[in-house]
Amino acid sequence: MKTGLALSLALASLWHRRRVLALVCLTLTLSVSLLLGIQYLRTEVRQSFTSTISGTDLIVGARSGQLNLLLYTVFHIGDATNNIRWSTFRKLQEDQRIDWLIPISLGDSYRGYRVVATDRNFPEHFRYGQEQPVSLAEGKWFSDVFHVVLGAGVARELGHQPGEEIILSHGGGRTSFSNHEDTPFRITGILEPTGTPVDQAVYISLEGMEAMHVGWESGVAIPGRTLTPEKAKGMTFTPDAITAVYVGLKSPVLTFQLQRALNQSAEEPLSAILPGVALSELWRLMGQFEKALLGITGFVVITSLVGLVAVLLTLQTQRAHEIAVLRATGASTGLVASLHVIECVALALVSCLLALAVGSALLTGIAPWLLDNYGLNLTLRPLNGTEWALLATVPAAAALVGLLPAFATWRKTRHQGLGEIGGQ
Amino acid sequence: MTSTTETRTNRAKGEELALQARQLGFQWAASQPMLRFPDLAIPRGEHLFLQGASGSGKSTLLSLLSGMQVPASGSVSILGTELQRLGSGARDRFRADHIGVIFQQFNLVPYLSALANVTLPCRLSRTRHDNTRPDPETAAAELLRLLAIPEDHWHRKVTRLSIGQQQRIAAARALMGAPGIILADEPTSALDSDNRDRFLDLLLGLANERGASVVFVSHDRSLSSHFHHQIHLGDES
Repeated sequence: MKTGLALSLALASLWHRRRVLALVCLTLTLSVSLLLGIQYLRTEVRQSFTSTISGTDLIVGARSGQLNLLLYTVFHIGDATNNIRWSTFRKLQEDQRIDWLIPISLGDSYRGYRVVATDRNFPEHFRYGQEQPVSLAEGKWFSDVFHVVLGAGVARELGHQPGEEIILSHGGGRTSFSNHEDTPFRITGILEPTGTPVDQAVYISLEGMEAMHVGWESGVAIPGRTLTPEKAKGMTFTPDAITAVYVGLKSPVLTFQLQRALNQSAEEPLSAILPGVALSELWRLMGQFEKALLGITGFVVITSLVGLVAVLLTLQTQRAHEIAVLRATGASTGLVASLHVIECVALALVSCLLALAVGSALLTGIAPWLLDNYGLNLTLRPLNGTEWALLATVPAAAALVGLLPAFATWRKTRHQGLGEIGGQ
Repeated sequence: MTSTTETRTNRAKGEELALQARQLGFQWAASQPMLRFPDLAIPRGEHLFLQGASGSGKSTLLSLLSGMQVPASGSVSILGTELQRLGSGARDRFRADHIGVIFQQFNLVPYLSALANVTLPCRLSRTRHDNTRPDPETAAAELLRLLAIPEDHWHRKVTRLSIGQQQRIAAARALMGAPGIILADEPTSALDSDNRDRFLDLLLGLANERGASVVFVSHDRSLSSHFHHQIHLGDES
């Protein structure tokens, strides 16, 4: 009975002071939205990050650290330390334990985007996210030496359409001075957005990579020795080396066995890494930052709560009369003090609800924009356990800080006489 | 001190008393002098007029009678219960069950409507709730009607009502659920003389109907004729 009374009094009091408290509630709503949003994004980005590549059991490249290999093969960051001989690739193709191989050859670029030379196994076997294949938004895969398929991000950023011809540059970098001008590539297809580095690359065949480097053996084009599309007709191109290879095994049980065998290969110094493990390690490095961000947001919420208490303590002086009335009517000091805690918690709950509404509205609003501009695929989903727990800490913390004015009131009213309003 | 009260009482008669005070003394702090109060014995249904200059301890005496403070010496019995024997929580409950209070002003909880202010004692006390017939809302409405509060004011914010109306609503709250004793601390000092006489008539009339004793504090000696007992504080000090 008394709990019900305390609740209804507290709510009536909040409503009575709604104008003053609306601002505090707004501050709290914004900070809770921020906290919840950061945590939500963290989960989503982590999800998206760790599923940059899936279905691939091993990535094999020249001997180096696993992060380095992961960075240049999957994220197109940094450069390969060395190449793998083509003969080694051929030998892997004959390995009975291996189901499929995706060779990749890096080194060139197109207006700052990496050129990835591969073969038809890439659309066939490459998977990201929840085992999703890379599919074409328009056009078709390369079927000729001088065909190129663009990642969604590249096509959007540069406004290319299938059928256009583009000139690739030698080496990396946004502004390269040596371009493969004699060998233009025709765009045959554009990929669907994936939200992974796949969007930020252009894809050609291994043969195309070889063909455009004929006459470039010294590192610069020797006039007269380079090919033109006409001259290249009817020729066959076999690469000497590739940068790395994605490996799919017949049985995942064999992963460690093959990894050890490759790492100890006597013929060529190789490194074989498990993409999942390497991705987790990379995330651990980057995860420090997002943890710090979450921590900062936590402090923002605490600041808002302190603001709330400051306002409630200020209101306390205005409430002296009503407290005197409640006390005279027989309300215990505990009941009077509990009003503060209930009000704090109620405000926090309202803020949490508003934050949920603001968050979902905002997410629905900016999700298409994020996908278009950053390739980040965010969907509205029910909150997970961690997020609910984080949200629940807000009213819990509010109850804790509410104890402050509650205790102040309790201490003051304990010794007050009938109808007395001042402190002692 | 002038007292027309019969101070000698026996035990059987104690059951019949609305309030009884003996050898009452109170000290706000150890460094301050002890306030001493005259002995009181008011039979149920009779009213007491308490007069005294400011600083004479009128408010302190009311605090002791309401159980908000405990005496340093002596004893207070309200309706046969010795207050100083109760713990602070029990004194709060006792006050909720048996005592109605009216202040000089700021009597009402600002965020409750007039009606909700009147029914407040019934929500704080099961006894007061059970004493109302047929239910608190109807009883409150009846009291408000008797106290001439227009019906369209009942659900209004109480801060918009006039002082006279606020004081009458406070009287209705004090009378709700038939408490045995009503403590009124200068309830008419903010009212003009017409309102004051009307308020006093209504309060005492309704208290008589319900058998409640009123302890009325005022510095206005002209009101004392309405009461069975009169006490003047502060002559001794």
